[in-house]
Amino acid sequence: MKPFIEFRNVEKKYMIGDNAFYALKDVNLSIYEGEMVVILGPSGAGKSTLLNLLGGMDSPTGGNIFINDHDISKFKDDELTVYRAWNVGVVFQFYNLVPTLTAYENVALMKDVRKNVKRGSVWEKDNAGLELLDPKETLASVGLADHMDQFPSQMSGGEQQRTSIARALAKNPRLLLCDEPTGALDTDTGKEVLKLLQRVSSKQKHTVVMVTHNSSFADIADRVIRVKNGTVNSIITNDEPKSADEVSW
Amino acid sequence: MLLRKMWRDLLKNKVQFFSIFIMSFLGIFVFSGLDSEVSGMDHYEGVYYENTNLYDICAQGMAFKNRHLSKVKYLKDVKEAELRFKTAGKAELSKEYDLQMLFIDDNKISRMILAEGIPYTPGASGVWVDINFMKKQGLSVGDMLNMKLNGISFGQEIKGAVYHPEFVYYVKDVSAFMPDYGEYGFVVMDTGSYPLDDFYYNQMVIRSSVADNTGGLDKDEKNRLSRLMNEVKYVLDSDEVILTDKDADLSYQTFRAEIEQHASMVYIFPPIFLAIALLGIITTMTRMTAKQRVQIGTLKALGFSKRTITVHYASYAFFLSLFGGVLGAVLGYFTIAKYILGMMNTSYILPKVNTVFSFKSYAAVLISVIISSLVSIMACRKELSPAPADTLRPASPKNLKHSLIERSFLWKHIGFTIQWNLRDILRNKIRTIMGIIGVLGCSMLIFAACACLDTVEFITTWMYGELNTSRYSIIMNEGVSYGDTAEYAKKYKGQMVSTLGCEFEAGGIKKSGNITIPDRGNYLHYQDRQLKHIDLHEDGVAMSYRMSVLLGIKEGDMFSWHIIGDDKWHTDRVSDIYRNPSVQGITMSRKRYESYEYSFCPQTIYTNMDPVKELKDDDNIAGVQGLSEMMKAMDAMKEMMYAMVYIMITAAAILGIVVLYNLGVLSLVEKNREMATLKVLGFKSARIRSILQIQNVWVTLLGISCGIPFGIVVINILFGTMPESMDYVAKYSEKSFIICILGTFVLSYLVNRVLSGKVKTIDMVDALKGQE
Repeated sequence: MKPFIEFRNVEKKYMIGDNAFYALKDVNLSIYEGEMVVILGPSGAGKSTLLNLLGGMDSPTGGNIFINDHDISKFKDDELTVYRAWNVGVVFQFYNLVPTLTAYENVALMKDVRKNVKRGSVWEKDNAGLELLDPKETLASVGLADHMDQFPSQMSGGEQQRTSIARALAKNPRLLLCDEPTGALDTDTGKEVLKLLQRVSSKQKHTVVMVTHNSSFADIADRVIRVKNGTVNSIITNDEPKSADEVSW
Repeated sequence: MLLRKMWRDLLKNKVQFFSIFIMSFLGIFVFSGLDSEVSGMDHYEGVYYENTNLYDICAQGMAFKNRHLSKVKYLKDVKEAELRFKTAGKAELSKEYDLQMLFIDDNKISRMILAEGIPYTPGASGVWVDINFMKKQGLSVGDMLNMKLNGISFGQEIKGAVYHPEFVYYVKDVSAFMPDYGEYGFVVMDTGSYPLDDFYYNQMVIRSSVADNTGGLDKDEKNRLSRLMNEVKYVLDSDEVILTDKDADLSYQTFRAEIEQHASMVYIFPPIFLAIALLGIITTMTRMTAKQRVQIGTLKALGFSKRTITVHYASYAFFLSLFGGVLGAVLGYFTIAKYILGMMNTSYILPKVNTVFSFKSYAAVLISVIISSLVSIMACRKELSPAPADTLRPASPKNLKHSLIERSFLWKHIGFTIQWNLRDILRNKIRTIMGIIGVLGCSMLIFAACACLDTVEFITTWMYGELNTSRYSIIMNEGVSYGDTAEYAKKYKGQMVSTLGCEFEAGGIKKSGNITIPDRGNYLHYQDRQLKHIDLHEDGVAMSYRMSVLLGIKEGDMFSWHIIGDDKWHTDRVSDIYRNPSVQGITMSRKRYESYEYSFCPQTIYTNMDPVKELKDDDNIAGVQGLSEMMKAMDAMKEMMYAMVYIMITAAAILGIVVLYNLGVLSLVEKNREMATLKVLGFKSARIRSILQIQNVWVTLLGISCGIPFGIVVINILFGTMPESMDYVAKYSEKSFIICILGTFVLSYLVNRVLSGKVKTIDMVDALKGQE
């Protein structure tokens, strides 16, 4: 089987004065479509940088990143925008909802995203059939049918994170990226969110990549990529991933 | 959805955005108001002169015959020409009133326009009377009007009330500088109605094909008319004939100058409001995008293109400046323009003049919207350029450096309050500059408004208290001999003065004005450029300051002049420069005047003895004017000034309140944490308030000290664009300085008082909670 995502000798270097600092160095990895992958590592290991590169939010300083055979490391800003608009859903640790929009409006915002990017790009062809989902249904699917008109400030952390997931799912993306999605939540709420993500991966066949420093999450993933000091330390395949209910932290 | 976000952001930051809105509004409000008025006057002036076929050239100074008319009509560039007789007479009502009388053969050039009654046809009997004169004197069509010409009384039935294009603006005599319509007037009759047997044509009016009647005479038109005048002069073959184009006509010239003066004001105030709007956009948008940095990063991560996000943030300023501009344009048109034009209608007599919404107002809205949107984009650029991954991280803290002041040895000795405020100013430069400009605009407007009143007050006392110290002026009838006039002067211990029309030339520039010849006496005084008393050189030729500026010459320079009616040019050196608000030209002693072999024929006697009763029915006397009558003519002007002053003071107050309140809120929001910290450390609210007040005092002081010089510039522009016959010295009293400084301070203090009250309400716990 051909990988959906492939990193080849990827490097991300920052210059601080005359000194080079490598956030990522010589990273090679593959991820297959429909997988649920957990990227594990301590703070400063390069997890978030990896996720940013994967989501087209940043570009590497070396190496290649292939998504469905397209080398996004060579993309210009405009092309990356189109890539993000069609392919990627992102869930942030602190939800990053637009505070002046209601839950419904935050999700419906995705209509604006697609409206404003170039039609006829490779992604549109690649993703034919991946039409936007109805914002109301999507919110209902994450259990927020009763919270449509609430502003983020009126919701709990878990509700906000579920809104954030609904926003990511509404795009019907092939790739769902989650940056410490339970980092700001208590254990029970965190489990709910994890269950939701697991369901998305298994039922809707979205590829889910989750970044976390919490090693307990390794059990629910199809594959676990451990990162340390900007390099991939190990890649382990989980033949029988556990359900989110079974993990504890 | 982004539109909804914008709308809610606007509501959330309503104070800042409202100030941007109101400044965009005010800028266009003032612009469109003034421009619609100017465009209206300009348009209807052209329409009126075009419809009435105002003359281009007027020939006078000789007796014209029909053969002269045929010759002139034969010239290629002459469209039409007419002969007429123009003279001064009286209306005999409850008392005698001065009338300009026009006896015409036809009504094709400088056509009178009928307001009421029956139209004129060649050969018709009756009289067509100045509509203002009829209104003021309670006359109506069908009445008999008794008139007097050269001592002979005659009557004519009033056939109509009329407007006349040569009487859009007219004063009683050259020394009066405000019209008092209805106290004198004009009448038009057919030449057949002339009551005496000494009739001759003393004027020929010519309409050419080389100049039109819209928008004043441009340089090309003037040159072509000048060439045509030479041709006319050639075919008339007379040494006496004097030819002038319509620019020399007081009515035409004054109305034109008024339009141009208003036009020059169109661009003075709006840029200040726009500048403040733009500074408001910079501070508000920079602050908002910095605050929404993570939101911007999220939008990018979600797949919004940079263009979409840029358009989103530009749309705040776009919509505010668009709505503000459109509202300003509409309201300006219906309020300022209508109001000022209404006042103009009392000074300038036209049958119809209305406001016109010109393309310039559309352009102003468009320019304001474009500039505002661009500035908004520039202000947001910092947060929009980096990659989404960078924008999602909080901004790295500003690399603060110690400023020069902080490194100086003084720093340690200036105390916490001043240190804190100095740092705050240095780190929020744009906010401080915006505050200074706001206060500048506010104090500038207050100062200019007060100075306008000072100037009008000053002109009155200057003219009737310093330059002319007589209490009465006796105006002689035409044709009274020198001997008789001298007798009156002796009887009333008066000073005789002769004023004649004159033309001047220096370095190729030609201007018309007056020559004033005062006889010995103590009533007329002269002041130099700095308004210091001077005695004119006994034997010199002194020139009024405004005329010297128009001709581009100074003391000691040569120029030529000739009296209208006499073709002989004289070349002289300017011996002195003096200032006079209403009569421009030259002044020379009687002795000097007579040395050119002219005979001295005074028309006016200035005196302090009351001659009113004795001379009431004297046939030699055209009229007697007392000081109070002359001062009354100033009232109309004062009224107009008051209206201007109200507008300026209102604008100043809005400007001051909006800018200072906006900045105050901005700085309070930014300093919320700092002030909460100070509170936690044990500072009392009153102390924190006083810290804030200090900065306000600095900004206000700086603003005022820049505002006053700007105010001086503004009133100099305002009074510097007066008609060529006027020379108004912009004046400002100590009172104006005090009102300006106090007024601005009080305003600034009150705004700050309201704002600093909010210090009490700062919740320490809330403000110091972690920044999520």
